[in-house]
Amino acid sequence: MMDVYQWMVKYTPQTEWIEKRGIFLWIAFYAGGLSGGLYLVSLYFNSLWGMFISWLIMVFIKGGSHLLFLGKPWRFWRIITRPQSSWLARGFIFVVLFIGSCAIQMAFTYWMPGSVWEILFKISSGIFAFGVTAYTGIILKNMKGVPFWNSALLPVLFILCGVLSGFGLAVGIALAGGDVDLSAAEWGSRIFLVANALLIIVYLLQAEHREDVGRQSVMEQLRGNSAPIFWGGIVALGIVIPLVISFTSLFMGEITSWVIIFGVVCEIIGGLSLRYCVLKSGAYKPLVARPQNQ
Amino acid sequence: MRWGMVVDLSSCVRCFGCVAACRIEHYLPMGITWPKLVAMETGGEHPTVSTYSVRCNQCKDAPCVDACPTGATSRREDGIVAIDQDKCVGCRYCVVACPYQNRSFLSKDKDQGFFPGRGLTPFEKEGKKLYKHQIGTTEKCNFCAERIDAGLAKGLKPGVDREATPACVNTCVARALHFGDLDDPNSEVSRLIRENNGFQLHPEYGTDPSIYFIDKKIGQTDGETQVKKEAEPAGVAE
Repeated sequence: MMDVYQWMVKYTPQTEWIEKRGIFLWIAFYAGGLSGGLYLVSLYFNSLWGMFISWLIMVFIKGGSHLLFLGKPWRFWRIITRPQSSWLARGFIFVVLFIGSCAIQMAFTYWMPGSVWEILFKISSGIFAFGVTAYTGIILKNMKGVPFWNSALLPVLFILCGVLSGFGLAVGIALAGGDVDLSAAEWGSRIFLVANALLIIVYLLQAEHREDVGRQSVMEQLRGNSAPIFWGGIVALGIVIPLVISFTSLFMGEITSWVIIFGVVCEIIGGLSLRYCVLKSGAYKPLVARPQNQ
Repeated sequence: MRWGMVVDLSSCVRCFGCVAACRIEHYLPMGITWPKLVAMETGGEHPTVSTYSVRCNQCKDAPCVDACPTGATSRREDGIVAIDQDKCVGCRYCVVACPYQNRSFLSKDKDQGFFPGRGLTPFEKEGKKLYKHQIGTTEKCNFCAERIDAGLAKGLKPGVDREATPACVNTCVARALHFGDLDDPNSEVSRLIRENNGFQLHPEYGTDPSIYFIDKKIGQTDGETQVKKEAEPAGVAE
């Protein structure tokens, strides 16, 4: 009986947002970043296909999995009526506004391309897409009890990861014959891959010096239960393989489409793994302090 | 007025009476426990078990109130942090935001009855009528706000009159739990905090909890060892 709450005197991983139905939140967090990132990339390429896929991901994967996560999903309207309350509410509002604004913008792009309305809705949708990409990082950054998340770098990391995945999907759209410049999308992928890898290293180095629990979280990723996902998912699939494919195509000329698509899939698995490891390794300080005998 | 509690660590005998009293008072589902006893070993060669009786700290600057996107969690004028179950959407932001890990999400698997698959006992049936726990929402200790409100309406004084005092405090056989008004310098809780150097859990979070802990052994010499006032996080340093 006395062992039941021993977990509260040791460093304690958070579980609500990653285990059981928390899996839906993990998917929702990643899908939001992916959708927002893809929309921003699609704006750059003026790709209607990219915008449409981004909208589909936001509605069905991001919105759907977030609603499945909620204990009382039919009350979700209560969240979007209180923007002043928290970043979760603001994030939900960004999602709803993006879905509406993007749908209108795509209609203008299809039927009235070049109109003022199209430009206005592109601007608003871009702002909402950026908001969706950023808000999950801001939520985690503000958690007082989880030192591993308390970093201004986390929202930046999530934004970069979202845009990187967006470039990955843009490469896929280009290969499928969509309205994206393949060479430019590949360059974007390369730049964001390198930036993302550097930021992950800086983030972990910084987190290691953020109290004992921050170090525990980093160790959990590098050597603990999350290590296979960190090394296999983030490092190997998310960074090394896409980088090798990307730079091979740069220096050795054209490579087959299937290899590039494999690289895009690896990038997406890497993005999912990154969110998983960040959520899974978030840990609280022990609840109580142990008196120390002299 | 700000209701608060003092937990005397040196008096607690680990009888789990507070946990049981709360379970009965609020007809808690089997998978949910509002107050918890945190046990740990202290001391080197001759370790002893120390126990902290913990529950929602009813923080003055509560992270859960700031986190709640629907306004379901709010802070009352008397300092109690309350949850309106009808407004809770079950996002669990408050559960993750609470640095003290004192909130619980009531999922279906935590409310399967005392004897799963064999129906409800008469006690459980009565409880479902009297105290509604909504699956898919968040729960936590509320300092027995319903007892306090009913008691105050009768002119009783919480912390002094049993009818207006939280169930865990009433049931504590060792008198390790004390309840009262933190804003009243003459209340028992204020006096205990003042005289025994009461401390809060993790003051560095800036949440200003309404639960204080006192340990009459801390800072006193027992002939062999002297216990420091400073403490270090358990489980990290060893």
